[in-house]
Amino acid sequence: MKRYDLIVVGAGPSGLSAAIEGAKRGLQVVVFDENEKPGGQLFKQIHKFFGSKEHKAKIRGFVIGEQLLKEASELGVKVVLNATVTGLYMDKELVVKIADTIYHYKGDAILIATGAAENMVTFEGWTLPGVIGAGAAQTMMNLHGVKPGNRILMLGSGNVGLVVSFQLLQCGCEVAALVDAAPRVGGYGIHAAKVARCGVPFYLSHTIVKAEGEECVTGVTIAEVDKKFQFIPGTEKHFDVDTICLAVGLSPMSQLLKIAGCEMEDNPKRGGQVPICNEYGETSIKGIFVAGDVSGVEEASSAMIEGRIAGIAAAQYLGYIGIEELEEKFEENKAALEGLRQGMFAPENRGKLIERTEEGIPVSMNLLTKGYIAEDEIERYPGVTHRAGIHPVMECSQNIPCNPCQDACPRHCIQIGSHITSLPVVDESAQCVGCGLCVAACSGQAIFLVQEDYEPGYGTVTIPYEFLPLPQKGEKGYGLDRSGQRVCEAQVMEVKTAKTFDHTNLLTIRVPVDMVGKARFYRKSC
Amino acid sequence: MSRRIAEHPILGVQEKGEKVTFLCDGEILEGYEGEPIAAALRAAGIMKHRYTKKEHTPRGIFCAIGRCTDCVMIVDGKPNIRTCVTPLKQGMKVQTQYGVSPKPFEKQ
Repeated sequence: MKRYDLIVVGAGPSGLSAAIEGAKRGLQVVVFDENEKPGGQLFKQIHKFFGSKEHKAKIRGFVIGEQLLKEASELGVKVVLNATVTGLYMDKELVVKIADTIYHYKGDAILIATGAAENMVTFEGWTLPGVIGAGAAQTMMNLHGVKPGNRILMLGSGNVGLVVSFQLLQCGCEVAALVDAAPRVGGYGIHAAKVARCGVPFYLSHTIVKAEGEECVTGVTIAEVDKKFQFIPGTEKHFDVDTICLAVGLSPMSQLLKIAGCEMEDNPKRGGQVPICNEYGETSIKGIFVAGDVSGVEEASSAMIEGRIAGIAAAQYLGYIGIEELEEKFEENKAALEGLRQGMFAPENRGKLIERTEEGIPVSMNLLTKGYIAEDEIERYPGVTHRAGIHPVMECSQNIPCNPCQDACPRHCIQIGSHITSLPVVDESAQCVGCGLCVAACSGQAIFLVQEDYEPGYGTVTIPYEFLPLPQKGEKGYGLDRSGQRVCEAQVMEVKTAKTFDHTNLLTIRVPVDMVGKARFYRKSC
Repeated sequence: MSRRIAEHPILGVQEKGEKVTFLCDGEILEGYEGEPIAAALRAAGIMKHRYTKKEHTPRGIFCAIGRCTDCVMIVDGKPNIRTCVTPLKQGMKVQTQYGVSPKPFEKQ
């Protein structure tokens, strides 16, 4: 039996963060992970993260993963891969399966950061090859470079369903439809808008009737559901697809905590069976801590902060630091965590219909049912302004904790203020120079540069563009509106690529002047 | 290998191991050393990994992270190998699994 000060189970964002904080304070730390590669789900997250600059906003998930691994290894944290922890017993002893051998370890403190597993739903034909989890799609395309399918239907409009749909489009797959039994889009509106403007239709209050095909998926039928989630006859719609992707939520993988005898509760707001723990993440068993999705399904950003808190608390539990340091660090992290848990998508708002923003502006109902803000709704948001010359138009309509746009503008044209969930406001007195830093900095790709007076009869729109092949200057194509419909001819005037943009290219298209408020995506003529 | 993503807008050209060949139900296929067997199969357009013992219905990749065991196949003679987490090697012999046998049910 080998002993460590702190044994961490799970090398994802929370586990690595905890290991880092523990190791910084002198603890001997080992991290076990059942996967071949560390990082948990971070290496599949290729979008820019939300939040504040201090908490890795606008950095892509896989880059955050690399940073955490580097920091952990520099601090001497030992990460053991292909190592499945199969049991956690009395006195914090645990057993780990590595290759074909079971090893016995003891931790003076234990941190369980096993994350969450995907939920699934059943329907006729759900076992056919071609029905996959959204996580499987991410694994195949972002880790292994293989398209999960050619034409895909996505079930689930939470952030996972929306983000994975966009990633499928980015790797060249076609997304036939995005479907959810719920009456409203569950994830961030900006994620939905990115998918909708590429032309993906949203079917809310719809779900899958059956997956079709003898040997593998060849199609799918969906139908509308009523308020009691019963199919409404006659509303069936068929799509030819080869893949059906399920993004129907996550459940904490809390089995080890149950084995250990930690007090558990069934808490739907936290995603299912979760351990009861205090503010530091300590469970009912002294010295056994939890962090991340295993203690309540949230985002990776909050998982990292929870990990930090639990890692510091483990150091205090073992006597490496005093209670004063724990309390001081806890206050700092708590403030950040509370920041991330504010706004419309705060845990306590799960499933609630919010009709007005914090500013009192009506929420776009079209965004919640179709995935994009309608023409007659867009003008109500403070980021959407008209003026002479080039200027930003920020189609940010929901209160989410995110503020990189504010720091991005060298001229301070954009203001969010101290309240991180506020909608961005344009400072009319500051002069936009059209640098596009805000367009690239917006994790939600909701900022556009608009110039209505480019030349007689024409204006320009600069859009964030993360697809290949990159359009060429001078190329002709079409402007697509927020719903993905072709609305006008468009010519590419400029394509800007810079290291600071981090793979978000800025595409400037020239469109008829009456289209500058409508064209939000570009597609080359076939 | 049309299902391979040649260049990704964010991830660029993904690093892969050496190109290798392997056998799937007697057919010679190409893949990259170290990638999961399942990734090489999906890239080659193969969707079915096994048929269930009781109902004889087909299964393929579902979770792709070694959790659900839907994608198990016979690899180098050993059944129930999770192809989504087993690295591909040159010359591997991969077979569709019928129940736990490489033989189709009518021949069992």
